[in-house]
Amino acid sequence: MFKKFSHEDVSAQNQVKASVQRRIRQSISDEYPGLETVMDDLLPKKSPLVVVKCQNHLNLVVVNNVPLFFNIRDGPYMPTLRLLHQYPEIMKKLQVDRGAIKFVLAGANIMCPGLTSPGGVLDDGVAEETPVAIMAEGKQHALAIGFTKMSAKDIKAINKGIGVDNMHYLNDGLWKMERLD
Amino acid sequence: MAEKLEAVKVLYCGVCSLPAEYCEFGQDFEKCKPWLIENAPEVYPHLIPKDADGNEVDKVTEKLQGAGIASGSAVLTTSKEGTSTGKEEVKRLPGGKVKKKDKKEVIIEKVVRNKRKCVTIVKGLDLFGVKLNDASKKLGKKFASGASVVKGPTEKEQVDVQGDISYDIVEFITDTWPEVPESAIYFIEDGRKVPAA
Repeated sequence: MFKKFSHEDVSAQNQVKASVQRRIRQSISDEYPGLETVMDDLLPKKSPLVVVKCQNHLNLVVVNNVPLFFNIRDGPYMPTLRLLHQYPEIMKKLQVDRGAIKFVLAGANIMCPGLTSPGGVLDDGVAEETPVAIMAEGKQHALAIGFTKMSAKDIKAINKGIGVDNMHYLNDGLWKMERLD
Repeated sequence: MAEKLEAVKVLYCGVCSLPAEYCEFGQDFEKCKPWLIENAPEVYPHLIPKDADGNEVDKVTEKLQGAGIASGSAVLTTSKEGTSTGKEEVKRLPGGKVKKKDKKEVIIEKVVRNKRKCVTIVKGLDLFGVKLNDASKKLGKKFASGASVVKGPTEKEQVDVQGDISYDIVEFITDTWPEVPESAIYFIEDGRKVPAA
């Protein structure tokens, strides 16, 4: 979804009021309990939190001009890949096999066979409609952030079609937007 | 959890900005190679990517590096890889990664609305350095109708003029803006592009 994304897609950016800030903070820490200890570093209470509204009902949470989280409509907040690379343990991980990397990095959704094949790893605790980190066979870092379309069990059972929607991947528009000003 | 989560330091490639281990899947691995050799030799020992179609190419690299001319080998390999990289670039095009340059042309399209009324859309005037605001004013004056600058479907700006003015708009455009050649003006008829000249 960030395949074509640039500064032109930003329709408004506002510094949000304290109550909204609190709500964003709350939902992020609910979503990613692992981040609790670094929350104050990531979203310092003092520095202003900016919400950038973009096309397609997309919101970016920006602190000090660095995009940290994004969400769609009122969906769950997801970290950007740069943030996820720093704190890889905060999300559930799925791993795709080597053959899939090329396609994922071109923005393709993740198909079930790529997750169930010998190179892939499935976390059984993953439910449907949750954000997950997409790792790759033989690689250390995440290459994409996805939103599951079916639960891990279904992925295994059905083993066909799209298992995870590709939200954000390496070298897409959001990745290239290292700073926003 | 009292202990603070430690932020992981990730090595990002200085050329393509990807984490170093993903350079091989980046847009131009060849360009990253020198940087990788210098900064992340452990990620790609001897720079042997394992992807299937890269295999042959890299045997050459390896051999040359084995000969011990690092910089020279880089030059040599690029020349030897000429054919394969050419193939890659062609492959990349459908992915839309290589942007095509906009062709300089003016496209005129007539859109019928309400069966007997129509709007004439002029696209591409801005490519010739014509100010669209001026253009819409002039067109509106000349044809005594409403004319406005509208954002087109692909984020491009275009001029909409009310009424069917395709009969003498070509002359008007070439007269008013001499920098627009008649050969660069096209009509769209039945979904096909027809040169006006």
